[in-house]
Amino acid sequence: MNTNDALERKLRAQILLARRVDGDRLMLSDEVLNAALDGSRHLTGAERAALQDSPLTLRRFRELSNARRPAAANDAWHGSSGMLRAASSGEALAGLKTDDRHWALHFVEQGDKWRLILTLDAAAPFAGRLLREQPLLRVVDGGGAILLQGRLDADGEYECDWPFESAPGLHFQQFGAGFTVAPVHR
Amino acid sequence: MRLPGTRYQEHGWEQVRKMLGHCSLLAFVQCPPAELLDGAAAGRALDMYVDLTGEALREAGSRLRAEQAGNSYGDSVQELAMSLLYELQARPADWSAFCGAVAAEHARSGAFWEGPAGDAILRKKVNDMYAVLRDKVDSDNYQAACGRTCSPNKMYAYRMLDTAYGEIASLFGAWQQHAAQVAAILGRELAGAAQPIETRQLTSIASCRPEWIIRWSESLERFGDGAGPLHTRSKRFSSLKNSEEKIGTMLREIGDYEELSSNRDQDWLQDAGDAALWLEDLWRVCEAPEGDGPDQILPALEEEFPEEAPAPVPLFDSALASAVSLPPRYMELAWAAQNRAGVLEAQSLPVRLAVYLKMLGPADDSYPAEWLDPETGELPTMQQLAGLDQVSLPTLRKRRDLAIAALLAAAP
Repeated sequence: MNTNDALERKLRAQILLARRVDGDRLMLSDEVLNAALDGSRHLTGAERAALQDSPLTLRRFRELSNARRPAAANDAWHGSSGMLRAASSGEALAGLKTDDRHWALHFVEQGDKWRLILTLDAAAPFAGRLLREQPLLRVVDGGGAILLQGRLDADGEYECDWPFESAPGLHFQQFGAGFTVAPVHR
Repeated sequence: MRLPGTRYQEHGWEQVRKMLGHCSLLAFVQCPPAELLDGAAAGRALDMYVDLTGEALREAGSRLRAEQAGNSYGDSVQELAMSLLYELQARPADWSAFCGAVAAEHARSGAFWEGPAGDAILRKKVNDMYAVLRDKVDSDNYQAACGRTCSPNKMYAYRMLDTAYGEIASLFGAWQQHAAQVAAILGRELAGAAQPIETRQLTSIASCRPEWIIRWSESLERFGDGAGPLHTRSKRFSSLKNSEEKIGTMLREIGDYEELSSNRDQDWLQDAGDAALWLEDLWRVCEAPEGDGPDQILPALEEEFPEEAPAPVPLFDSALASAVSLPPRYMELAWAAQNRAGVLEAQSLPVRLAVYLKMLGPADDSYPAEWLDPETGELPTMQQLAGLDQVSLPTLRKRRDLAIAALLAAAP
C-alpha cells in the first residue's frame, strides 16, 4: 500500500467518523457486529443502512474491528501508573514505583528543596525500545499536574527539580495519591 | 472519575472549561454577540466563532496552563479544549441552543454583553454550552469504547455518584469531627471513641455501599446546604433514589474501571499506520451479500435519567401591561425576578403580587425592583393587577384571599 492510499483511507475514515447525528445511538449490538466481522452472519440491508447512518455505531464497529487484530508487539508501552500506598508514617517519602514495577520515582532532599529522578528498570520488556527511541515522557500526578517532562538519558534516567513547594509525600496525599508515567503524543 | 473512553471527567476539566471561556470571550470581541440573535446569521457565525476561538486556543497554548494534562491519559488542557471546540462545529444544534440563550437574555436586558457584567454573563452561557457538550461527547465515547448504552444524563449521574463517594470518603477520613453525620451515613450510633470499622474499610469507590450514598444525600438537609442530590424535588435522579442495586452497579463500574485503567496498558497510543485498517473490515462487511434477517436493530431505550425541563418562560401579552400604565415588559421581568414561586406556586403572578400587596404592603425592602411600577416605586395597585390577570377586581380579591387562606391552612 502506498502513502497516497493510506492518506486517502485515513481521510475517508475521518469523514465517516467526524459526522455527528442528533440523537445518535448504538443501532446494532456487539453480537451482530462481531458476527458480521467474522462472517458468520451477514448484515441485512436495513442493518447495513443503520450502521452507515450512525457515526456512533461506526465508532463501535471500529473498536471491535481493531480488537480483532493481533495485539501490538510486546515491546509496546503506552504508560504505567502507580500510587502512594503506605499511610503517612511521618518519614519523608524516598521513592515510589509504578504498579508494573518498571518505573521508579526517587525523591532526594537538597536543603529545603527536592530533586526528582525518574528511573526505568533495565529489565522492563520495553526498555530497549524506549532507550533507542527516546520518546518525550511525562509524569503526571493524580490531579493532572505535570511533575516531570523530558527524555531519558542513556542510563534510563531523567532528573529535575521537584516542582512544588510541599514535600513529595504530602503532595501525593493531597492529589489523589496516584501518578502516571506516559509518552507524550502529539 | 474515569470510565471507558471518557476524556472530560477528571479534575482537569476545570482548566479546560476556563480556557474555553477565556478564548470564547476573545472570539466575541471580533464576532459580536449581536450576530447570534438572528437564526440564519447565527448559523453562519458558528464557523467564525470556531476559527477565532481556535486561534485564541493556539495562542494560549504556549502558556503553562494549556500544557498541563487535563486528564490522566495525558491529553493536555489545550488538546481537550480544541477537540471540544471541533465537536461543537459538528453539532450545530448545541450552537443554536447557545444562540437561543443569548437571544433570550437579549430580549430580557438588551445588549447585555456591553454592560458591566457582560463578560460574566456571556462566559456563563459559554460554560453552560460546553458543560452539556462534554457529557454528550463522553457518553458517545463511552458507548463506542464499551458497547453499553449511555446518555449525557447518565454520565452526569456517574459523576454525581463519584462526587458523593469523594464527600463520604472525606467525612470518613475525619470521622471524629463529623461523628454525627458519619453516624447518619452508616445508619447506626457510633460506639464511643472507637473508630468505626467502615471508615477504615472504605478504600475505593468500589467498596462504597449504595445505602451510604442514599443516607449521605439524606443527611445533607441536616448537615449541608440543603437537600442532597437524591433528595431534591428534581426527577433527575429519581430512578436511583430507591434503587441501591442500580447505585451499587454504577459505583462498582467506576471503581473497577479505575483499577483496570491504572494497572493496564492504555489504548490511547494507536500505531498511526493502522489507524484506518478497520475501513477494510467495513468495506468487506458492507459488500458481503445481504443477510436474510430478521433485522436485529436495537430499539431506542427510554432515558433512565430524565432531565427536568426548565420551567418555560410564559408568554406575556405586553398590551395588558401597557393598558394599565406599566412598562410593556413588566410581566416578563417581574416573572423572571421571582427566584422561586415557593408557597404561591399554584397562583398566577398577579395573584402572588396581590398577596404580597395585602400582607406586606405596597413597598417592602425585600421586593425585587422588577416587581415595582417605575412610576410609583411600589407594587402595582389591585386595579392594575386585575388588568394584568384579565379578571375583575372582585375576582382578583377573591383569589387573593383564597391563596392567603390556603397559606394559613398549610402553616405548621
